[in-house]
Amino acid sequence: MNEFSSQLPSILDQIIASIPVFKPELVIIVAFIGTILATLFFDTIWKHSSLAVAFLGIIASIMVTIPQIDNPTSGFFGMLIIDNFAVYARVIIQLALLVVLFLIQQYFKNKTFGKNLGDIYTILLAAGLGLNLLTVTTNWLLAFIAIETVSISSYILVGYFSETKRQAEAAMKYVLFGSVCAAIMLYGLSLLYGFTGNLDFASQAHIQGLISAPPVMISIALLFMFVGIGFKLGFVPFHMWTPDVYEGAPTPITSFLSTVPKIGAIVLLSRIFQAWVSTSFYFSELTLLFIVVVAIVTMLVGNLIALRQTDVKRMMAYSSIGHTGFLLMAVISTQTKDPQILLFYLAVYTLMNIAVFAFIQTLEEKIGSTTIADYAGLGKTYPILFTIFTFVGISLIGLPPTAGFIGKLLVFSATFDLYQTTQDIPFLLLLIVGALTSVISLFYYFRIPLYAFLRKGDETQNPPIPLTLTYGIGIIFGFLVLLFGIFPDLLLQVFN
Amino acid sequence: MITLTHFLVVSACIFCIGLYAVLAKRNAILILVGIELMINAAILNFVAFGRYDKINYGGQVFALFAIVLAAAAVAVGLAIILSVYRHYKTINPDNITDLRD
Repeated sequence: MNEFSSQLPSILDQIIASIPVFKPELVIIVAFIGTILATLFFDTIWKHSSLAVAFLGIIASIMVTIPQIDNPTSGFFGMLIIDNFAVYARVIIQLALLVVLFLIQQYFKNKTFGKNLGDIYTILLAAGLGLNLLTVTTNWLLAFIAIETVSISSYILVGYFSETKRQAEAAMKYVLFGSVCAAIMLYGLSLLYGFTGNLDFASQAHIQGLISAPPVMISIALLFMFVGIGFKLGFVPFHMWTPDVYEGAPTPITSFLSTVPKIGAIVLLSRIFQAWVSTSFYFSELTLLFIVVVAIVTMLVGNLIALRQTDVKRMMAYSSIGHTGFLLMAVISTQTKDPQILLFYLAVYTLMNIAVFAFIQTLEEKIGSTTIADYAGLGKTYPILFTIFTFVGISLIGLPPTAGFIGKLLVFSATFDLYQTTQDIPFLLLLIVGALTSVISLFYYFRIPLYAFLRKGDETQNPPIPLTLTYGIGIIFGFLVLLFGIFPDLLLQVFN
Repeated sequence: MITLTHFLVVSACIFCIGLYAVLAKRNAILILVGIELMINAAILNFVAFGRYDKINYGGQVFALFAIVLAAAAVAVGLAIILSVYRHYKTINPDNITDLRD
């Protein structure tokens, strides 16, 4: 105890010195408390006050994050690692949150609830805080807290407006499956801590401990740990919740779940990957093999099951599982290089998915359905919407001249380079499966224009769509997909 | 003399009981109980291992945070199960299957 009290001043000094590093998250915490107060006291005076506080909070957080570029630091005894990767990932996350904020506002605009809409912005900010933390850490403790913060916020986002049976069911499946995965991950982490006596997975002591631990126990611990990350990413053995939750949740919440949490989780996974696969010991080979196998299976399962879906939200859920496999491939191929390619693919994926869900939401408000068959004949009524929708679909497949094509091209060429230097068959398999599943995905994305333009619908004339904010977001993101497809350097140079 | 092995065996048993409760899937509340058992097995591990980490007390700190997070997750879980009960009048997961392929 005496030893500790003599160290106390220096520990306190270091904590105080680390606070500036933590500023973006502190801003979000302040905005979180601000939205609670605004919901309680000011929403009766001006109903958009909680939205305004959340909006300003995220903008302020972005403003504080951007100056951290090219200034790598660490804080809180190495718990926070700020590098360019973390800064760009956090900016993408916060920009996506900003858009989701307005999608939520638009979706619930015309509905009346007994519940306060302001609370949902509060929860969204809490999820944003967890995601920010996920991108800046190499410490298991902080990573676990961040994953749980995101998970608990997501459960509430899905379950908060559970007015129908399906929404309640989706929330229950999500919370039970998620908690089980988190508990298994925690047990795996406790074993890893036991082998190494250290919680920082990039540290020398941790890697040394993993090298000397018995292989059977290491396999169990690593597989348990990947259960938790697999749940957040939705890769294959742990993807069962994805379609149910995506279908059951309100559409703007689905657009949040399908994009933003994946960015945080993939950044964490890529940090683990970079720290671990460089050695030639058992645990490195196991990690590499596990991720390669999971990537292949995820791409196959996601794209094949998507073929027979009739609900467009469910189809997008399987499509996002397929894209997760592709993201894993991007993680593998960027193991030695800059994370530039991974960031580009993440940014483009976020753009495409939010655009698609903005269109789904616009159509849902108009025709009250998310079934693909109900889009029959609507192409004549809403030509602009379905043209851009089809175009974003082309980008999701990965055909030129779209940003999705550039993203896939970069990942494929990086993986091919990796194959040429190592001559490992698994990398070749990854390439083949990646190309094959891109072809498969063509069939289900093209069902939307097929129904919209070529099938005859009922002859009732639907009124034209007014230019709402949701529709506008979809159109703008569609054009951004085209812009980054023709001039990819605009985005690539930012990440350079 | 109680050694580290004793703690590990007990925690492994608790973890398996929890996993069984989850996989048997009789009742949503029982699944939550199983989750709680699994988390507590992990916490027991952390505290037992933490005895050998006298510098940072990483295991003890992790145990404290895990307890808080488990409580938060279970609170949300119970609220959601309550809303499911209002719609379905049952909380047996096998009877709640509106969403499926």
